[in-house]
Amino acid sequence: MNVRVPAESDFTSRLRSPAVAARIGVWLGISFGVCFVTGLISHYAQAPSQPVPFPTSPFWGYRVTQGLHIASGMAAIPLLLVKLWTVYPLLFRPIPRQVRALALDLLEKGSIAVLVSAAIFQLVTGLANSTQWYPWSFSFRATHYAMAWVVIGALVVHIAVKLPVIRDLLGADIDETSHDRPEAVDEGDLTRRGLVRTALFGSTLAVLATAGATVPWLRKVSVLGVTTGDGPGGVPINRTLVEAGIDEIAVGESYRLTVTYGDAEVVLTRDDLAAMTQHVVELPIACVEGWSATGTWGGVRMRDLLALVEAPAGSDVRVRSLQTRYAFGTSLLWSNFAEDDRTLLALELDGEPLSFDHGYPCRVIAPNRPGVRQTKWVERLEVL
Amino acid sequence: MRTRLALGAVGVAAGLYGALMLLDDGFSDLVSIVIWLAGGVVLHDFVLSPLTVLAGRLTPRLPSPTRAPVVVAVVVLTAITLLAIPVLGRFGASPGNATLLDRNYWAGWVGIVTLLAIGVLLASIVRAKRNANSGPA
Repeated sequence: MNVRVPAESDFTSRLRSPAVAARIGVWLGISFGVCFVTGLISHYAQAPSQPVPFPTSPFWGYRVTQGLHIASGMAAIPLLLVKLWTVYPLLFRPIPRQVRALALDLLEKGSIAVLVSAAIFQLVTGLANSTQWYPWSFSFRATHYAMAWVVIGALVVHIAVKLPVIRDLLGADIDETSHDRPEAVDEGDLTRRGLVRTALFGSTLAVLATAGATVPWLRKVSVLGVTTGDGPGGVPINRTLVEAGIDEIAVGESYRLTVTYGDAEVVLTRDDLAAMTQHVVELPIACVEGWSATGTWGGVRMRDLLALVEAPAGSDVRVRSLQTRYAFGTSLLWSNFAEDDRTLLALELDGEPLSFDHGYPCRVIAPNRPGVRQTKWVERLEVL
Repeated sequence: MRTRLALGAVGVAAGLYGALMLLDDGFSDLVSIVIWLAGGVVLHDFVLSPLTVLAGRLTPRLPSPTRAPVVVAVVVLTAITLLAIPVLGRFGASPGNATLLDRNYWAGWVGIVTLLAIGVLLASIVRAKRNANSGPA
């Protein structure tokens, strides 16, 4: 067996053609585009300040955008692998001797290196994150967000560079050979169309195998989904009481909820909360990691609690949790969320008191809100 | 050409915006990010891709009606297996939380392999029959 470094001309399959790369590139561009836009939405929904308030309706909005974010990322994995396979010979293109040609060659290879490394980075880190796996030391959210701009920028540059070739090839038959390398003439085991379909089949399977974590009717099919959707009250759990660093004593008899506005302060026990007018809403927990599940929540309207301290209309609320570990021990409830009829300080899920891990004695549940902001084990509401 | 220059400028601006945000990270985080950036490419270009080249050399040894179905199945299974690594390893599992990573993922993976194998078998039979019907060349 020979083990020398291959030359570009060693790759003779006619499947390794720009005509194939352009077509898979269109699908890959769509999936990266969807992933980018839904990622921006998720990032904005969690932003510490929002010039334009994130809307409370539709209540299922974040569930859908974040589900799409994960699904489009999953779909991109087979597409990216096949796309890279079609262009792999270019890695071994001879290095030009002329200075000008060399500079251009390095520039193009450099921009492709940025695109490929950042694209793989996004898919790998996103994939790991969707399964709660953090095998790195950097901040996932900040890095995944910044790298998304690098990928989308490099992708737009790539499209700009290749635009004439893309136009030419998408306007012609897939078996067009005008842009092929001269050596790429060997019939493969598949047709070119067959290879594109294989990549799309892989993407479909990738989505079907994982999307059940957020699409209830796919639960039985999604054998690689991160959750079956089971949990106390029919809702899975991201962080348990123990993981959040809370002692059970703190949520027992001694538990008190404090609501403050300026000097006004009201202190309530869980029984006091249970004695207030109760409401029931059906709302999803839509986790930033991509899974989601609908629950039937019962509890006190946030508005009613704020009225106890005579909070003025349009007030934002800071919610503080007993949580001592992990980020998001506090969250901001913007005024439009605080005043929405559907926003509750939930005491019950599915007709039962909340389990410890779901946030007993009480938790925030609001429409169209990332799961990390549905603060559990609430001990303090501060009207700002 | 004007469209391409405009697109290129937008792309460079977006990319730089992202790169500048990355530079806000501390030095040790940046080192880690660079390792992950380079690691993905190195694993792809120098491990996975050579393996696909080797695999490509094996297909001529297969009976001809099975070749295309086998290639399709192997491509799909490679992608699915790679994206299944985090759940197969259950690396993110938390001992106190039974509601996440709560499936038997190896069984699911074997199920996918089985379905693909059945697909290869059926497609190969259909192709062999089609070849037989078209008679000896």
